[in-house]
Amino acid sequence: MTELSNPLVLILSLVALLGFILYLWENNLRRRQSQQGQKMLETLHNSIQKSQDIVGQAELEGVKMLSDTRFQTAKLEQQYAAKLTEVVEQSKQAIAASQAQLVQFLQTLQSQSQQTQLNSQKAAEERINQMFGTLEQRLSDFLLQTSQKTTSSIELEVKSARALIESYKQQQMKLIDENIVAMMEETLNVVLGKKLSLKDQLDLVYEALEKAKVDKFII
Amino acid sequence: MDQQILTTILNDTFTVTQLKHRLVMLKSYLTKKLFGTSDETNLEQTDLNWLSSLGEAFYQKFTKDNVYQILNDLQTQTNQIVPLTIYLPFEVEQSSSAQIGSFARTSFNHPTLLLEVRYDPTLIAGCALSWKGIYRDYSLKAKIEDKKEEILTTFKSFLR
Repeated sequence: MTELSNPLVLILSLVALLGFILYLWENNLRRRQSQQGQKMLETLHNSIQKSQDIVGQAELEGVKMLSDTRFQTAKLEQQYAAKLTEVVEQSKQAIAASQAQLVQFLQTLQSQSQQTQLNSQKAAEERINQMFGTLEQRLSDFLLQTSQKTTSSIELEVKSARALIESYKQQQMKLIDENIVAMMEETLNVVLGKKLSLKDQLDLVYEALEKAKVDKFII
Repeated sequence: MDQQILTTILNDTFTVTQLKHRLVMLKSYLTKKLFGTSDETNLEQTDLNWLSSLGEAFYQKFTKDNVYQILNDLQTQTNQIVPLTIYLPFEVEQSSSAQIGSFARTSFNHPTLLLEVRYDPTLIAGCALSWKGIYRDYSLKAKIEDKKEEILTTFKSFLR
């Protein structure tokens, strides 16, 4: 009893008891865990087994599906190829028709273009011919007028030059005549001034006065 | 009375120059004679002859009272006379101008006609006259001008 009164012993006892309990609990837990692991393994095994079955089934189904898919694909391809061939054929025909229409259109266009070109060329030739005709006529008229004007101008120039020459000639002749008369007057003045006597001079003055009287110069 | 005096003076005075000279000379003579203030020794013999030719009756018309008045009137009348301008190709002396003036007065029947003589040697011979602004050439130069065409024709005929 004494020993039980010792706290230490009590504590150690409690610890030992607690350890034992823990051991039991642990042991029990491990056993349960072992059982559960066993069970889990079985489950896992079953699962794996089922999975393998499923996988096999799936593979089988997959193969089957693949086979079906291939078949369907081949069939679809055949249908697609047939359809594509048909479409291509239709397209070829449409293109050929369009090409034929285009060719015909181009031919028509070419024909119209050629016709238009011919018409334009013809019109241009007519217009050019008309222009050349007008130009020729105008050029001819211009040359004729120029010729007439030139001729008239030359005639006027010649006439003016002749008139100028004649005027100059007349002026020169008049100048010569004046010089002749002046020379004669000067000669007479010199000669008569020396030769005429006072009586002769007075007689000429009297003669002049008589003439003035006849002219009734002084009324 | 002034007109008579002027007529007497113009009787043998034929040119304007001569008239002016004689009026000056007469004024000098009358001043000397009436007032004894002038000297007549400067006068030429022809002037003295002319003064004496006027006669005593001519000088009796002048008195101390009217001499200046008469002389002024004479000067005025003289200025109013329209002379006949005569252009001569030679220089004339007083005697020649007197002959021409006398002839002109007779020809034109104008007893008091006065000449204004001018010298123009280009006239060659004869004379030209100017009366009241009208000029007329009666000289040999004018005759040559009138006959210029004939003269030139004749002259040119010698050139060919």
